[in-house]
Amino acid sequence: MLITRFTGDSDSQRFRLRVTIQHEDLLDGNIKMARVNNKKSDRVRKTLFFCVLSLLIVVTVPLVPYAIDAQAVAEKQIKADNVVALPNPAINLWNEVRQRNAITEGSSQVKSVDSGILINKAGEDWRRFRMEILVPYGAFSMAAVLLSLIAFFLLRGKMLLPEARSGKRILRFTLNQRTAHWFIVGLFWLLAITGLILLYGRIILIPLLGAEGFSITATACKDVHNLMGPLFLFAVLAMFLLFVKDNFFTGADLKWLAKGGGMFGGHVSAGRFNAGEKIWFWLLIIFGLSLCISGLILVFSIFGQGREVMALSHMFHGISALLLISVSFGHIYLGTVGMEGTLESMTTGYVDESWAKAHHDLWYEDMAGASETTESADKNSQAGIVASGIANTSHK
Amino acid sequence: MFEQFVNGIFWNFALIVFFAGISWRIIAVLRRGKPKDLSVPRNSGISGAIMANIRGFYPRKEIAPRIRMQVIAGYMFHLCLFVLLFFAAPHVTFIAEYITGFSWMPIPYWAFVVASEITFAGLVLLWIHRVLNPVTRLISRRGDHIASILVFIVMLTGCMALAQTSTELRVFHRFTVELLMIYFPFSALMHAIMFVPSRAYTGAWFGRRGVKV
Repeated sequence: MLITRFTGDSDSQRFRLRVTIQHEDLLDGNIKMARVNNKKSDRVRKTLFFCVLSLLIVVTVPLVPYAIDAQAVAEKQIKADNVVALPNPAINLWNEVRQRNAITEGSSQVKSVDSGILINKAGEDWRRFRMEILVPYGAFSMAAVLLSLIAFFLLRGKMLLPEARSGKRILRFTLNQRTAHWFIVGLFWLLAITGLILLYGRIILIPLLGAEGFSITATACKDVHNLMGPLFLFAVLAMFLLFVKDNFFTGADLKWLAKGGGMFGGHVSAGRFNAGEKIWFWLLIIFGLSLCISGLILVFSIFGQGREVMALSHMFHGISALLLISVSFGHIYLGTVGMEGTLESMTTGYVDESWAKAHHDLWYEDMAGASETTESADKNSQAGIVASGIANTSHK
Repeated sequence: MFEQFVNGIFWNFALIVFFAGISWRIIAVLRRGKPKDLSVPRNSGISGAIMANIRGFYPRKEIAPRIRMQVIAGYMFHLCLFVLLFFAAPHVTFIAEYITGFSWMPIPYWAFVVASEITFAGLVLLWIHRVLNPVTRLISRRGDHIASILVFIVMLTGCMALAQTSTELRVFHRFTVELLMIYFPFSALMHAIMFVPSRAYTGAWFGRRGVKV
């Protein structure tokens, strides 16, 4: 701002000078204010500018590849427009063969299931399901269960009996029940290991054994898996017949589930089997049967089942198997290292009274007074008469 | 190298041990002789021997309900193992090529598979029962468990070689069979041969004394 200073001795000049000086002071204040305001608005403007610029960069940069691609496509189109169109004679044939929308069956000299179909789109769907869903999510579910159990064990430790062992034992599983249990255990893990090698072997074993080594291993596993598989059906049916009686859900199971099975403290009542055991039992029966039926469809491909049925069976087979393997980790954990006194019920057939009171009090009440006599009451065991003495001896 | 060893020197060694061992065991039993029986025979020893052999094939009614599982599993295992051993197509071919020089009609593939499954089920059930039952566990020796496990391994390797597409798997199966052949004469597996004369001896002894077998 331009300010003129007057100089002179006259009053008017002095007055003018004073006014000028006062005016100048005012102007200085305004200028300072204006300068401050200008600085602020500059800053705001700059900030806004950078924000808009950043926004533009963020929005436009990812579009660059699309733009380049679009340009390339446009160039291709221009080139294609300049080229004289000569239809590839194989296109129509390929489209007919490929049958993207529907599977149509042609005719063939070979007379067998699906022999008239050259390319089955369902095969690709199955392959993608296997490689993109079954293999990764199956591995993830098994690993998640294992890690959860390890974490739970580290946090909670082994669940010990709340009372000392009484020394009195109650028969929990008969010899036949235990035999059926260990039979299915052996079979389950033989099939699980061979099945997992077939599912994950390419990823895990080829780097270790080489392609030829894995080929031999996979052949062996496939033969064992296919040969032993049908036995699993009989094992599942035996388990169903021997254990179904005590595995129907009751009101006590809801309370048990609501309290988380007492995993995090507190006592929960349960009958001979608690809700967790019952869920495991029904999972085994339902998914075990699903495994068996789908497995039989896969192994005995002599009943006219086509590729789509086989692919569907494989999906059911894989899902059921991985689910059962994952859940079985929890069953094994609780039956062995997770809970004191549980394993002996499946090895000797007997449990301590304290264990029964702590984990299956309703069943214990039903069995009250039986602890003294049950050791000789195993009618299914040929050793019933000597069970008392021998069981005590072997338990020591 | 391993294949040559298994098909050659080890096979010959196993064969010699197998037959020499069995002969030695039988001769050892025969050399023991029999105690002099001074009593007047009440009945025929021969009929007692025959009856004891027949009687051993089914359980006594007093204990039948208690040993139902062992009887069923025992028959499943032994009968199907016999069928597999002598009538499975690869075994028939092998026996004809290496031992007898002639062959016979093998069972069809589906029967081979079914027999294998039944044999496996029987063997595993019997072994689990042996371990879980307090009485059988107490009277079982280490040799009994080794025999069961060895037979299981032989059968498992046989299953692995079922498709007959891999030489390695076939050689591995043959190797385990040769191990079993070497172990056989010195173990409880000898019951496969000795059960007939053993029953006959006991039956004859009882028969002469008029004891109902």
